[in-house]
Amino acid sequence: MALRNLKEFCSPANQQQVGAVLDKYGDGALVLAGGTFIRGLEARGLLSEVEALVDIRKLGLDGWSATADGIRIGAATTFASLEQMPDLGSAAWLGALKDALAHPPLQIKNAATVGGCLAAACPFFDLPTAFMALDGTVNTQGAAAPREIGLEQLLVGLFENSLEPRELITELVLPKPSGRSASAFIKLGGTANDLAIINVAVRLTLDANGQCRDARVALGGGVGDSARRSPAAESLLQGQAITDELLQAAAEAVGQDIEPTTDHRASAAYRLAMAKVFTKRALNRALARLN
Amino acid sequence: MKQLVTLEVNGETQEFAVEPDTTLLGVLRDHLGLMGTKRGCDSGGCGCCTVHVDGKAVYSCMTYALSMQDHKVTTIEGIGTDTERDPLQSAFVKEGAVQCGYCSCGMIMTAKQLLANEAKPDEEAIRHGIAGNMCRCTGYHKIVAAIQSVANS
Repeated sequence: MALRNLKEFCSPANQQQVGAVLDKYGDGALVLAGGTFIRGLEARGLLSEVEALVDIRKLGLDGWSATADGIRIGAATTFASLEQMPDLGSAAWLGALKDALAHPPLQIKNAATVGGCLAAACPFFDLPTAFMALDGTVNTQGAAAPREIGLEQLLVGLFENSLEPRELITELVLPKPSGRSASAFIKLGGTANDLAIINVAVRLTLDANGQCRDARVALGGGVGDSARRSPAAESLLQGQAITDELLQAAAEAVGQDIEPTTDHRASAAYRLAMAKVFTKRALNRALARLN
Repeated sequence: MKQLVTLEVNGETQEFAVEPDTTLLGVLRDHLGLMGTKRGCDSGGCGCCTVHVDGKAVYSCMTYALSMQDHKVTTIEGIGTDTERDPLQSAFVKEGAVQCGYCSCGMIMTAKQLLANEAKPDEEAIRHGIAGNMCRCTGYHKIVAAIQSVANS
């Protein structure tokens, strides 16, 4: 087993017990919920210093609630539970989330959680790209004070998040955009359940004249150390009338905001080319949802 | 250092002393001798380790045994007997969906939840539903046919 320093598996029942375990083990504690990426981290040799696994699924952090302002999703909410949200099938603004949830296999959806997926800071995951295009923020506890962190500030590097020691994500908040909004997500993967070569999530808000009032373009997969937005694409779209030429220009512009990588799945050149193709397709998919 | 966990597997409850990183797969095969659940990739992708936890299909190779306190585990051994097979087990045999058999138990456990979620999935939904289970022998055609035959019955 690659967890060669592992001493204890803990299942704390309340925040106090979580604090005690995290105090006891410090950097040696690895918080998990579904634990579906543990093997991935082990295989990359990143877990040899782990002394305690801390399962936080007894803290009541699962479940979601929808209000007029948006959706709050508990960190320990599984993907399968998230799929049950009634609005998911009908709300155009949630299209990107619905699209992203179609990809993980059943066994992953039943265990993987929103909080774990974000905390893993793996750029090849799908949901974080969708959440980023939806202006998602996370609320945390356990640091000096509870805080709210935007996803671009949370996902700071390859498997690196900006959480402090002892800090846990407790929920993800997706604010409902005003006006006529739709989002979409597309993944380019190798096989049915492979990690993304690249993925793209977009959200468009149109005003009464059909002009783009607000735009979000987010990319993940092999686009750099972390999922990120494309300010170049977004600024081209903002305030403009939607035309095919505009969408094409925005799609080309994502090249300025990504650092595609070469690995066994794909070359950087392929990723760069596909990022543009799939940005355009995602924009068209979002637009189709507005009609 | 070992820790204790009480596990309910196929309706029977038993206490185990396991290492902190012992997986559910390890308990099923190595402690309980339930060999229907297979150890393939041991890293959560091939699907031959699929069991149900509280009725939901999961990769038992990625599930820590110590997280299973108060949960109900069902394996392939728990869904049918030699005289009363689960319809999926009969269908896999009848349709010729079993070659080496290594993926079969995991496929059936996944299909079982698939059909519980959606009574009559079409072919695309079935293929999508078993995307977390790999088969190297059959090319999936007869596996899909077997699941379809149960869905349509």
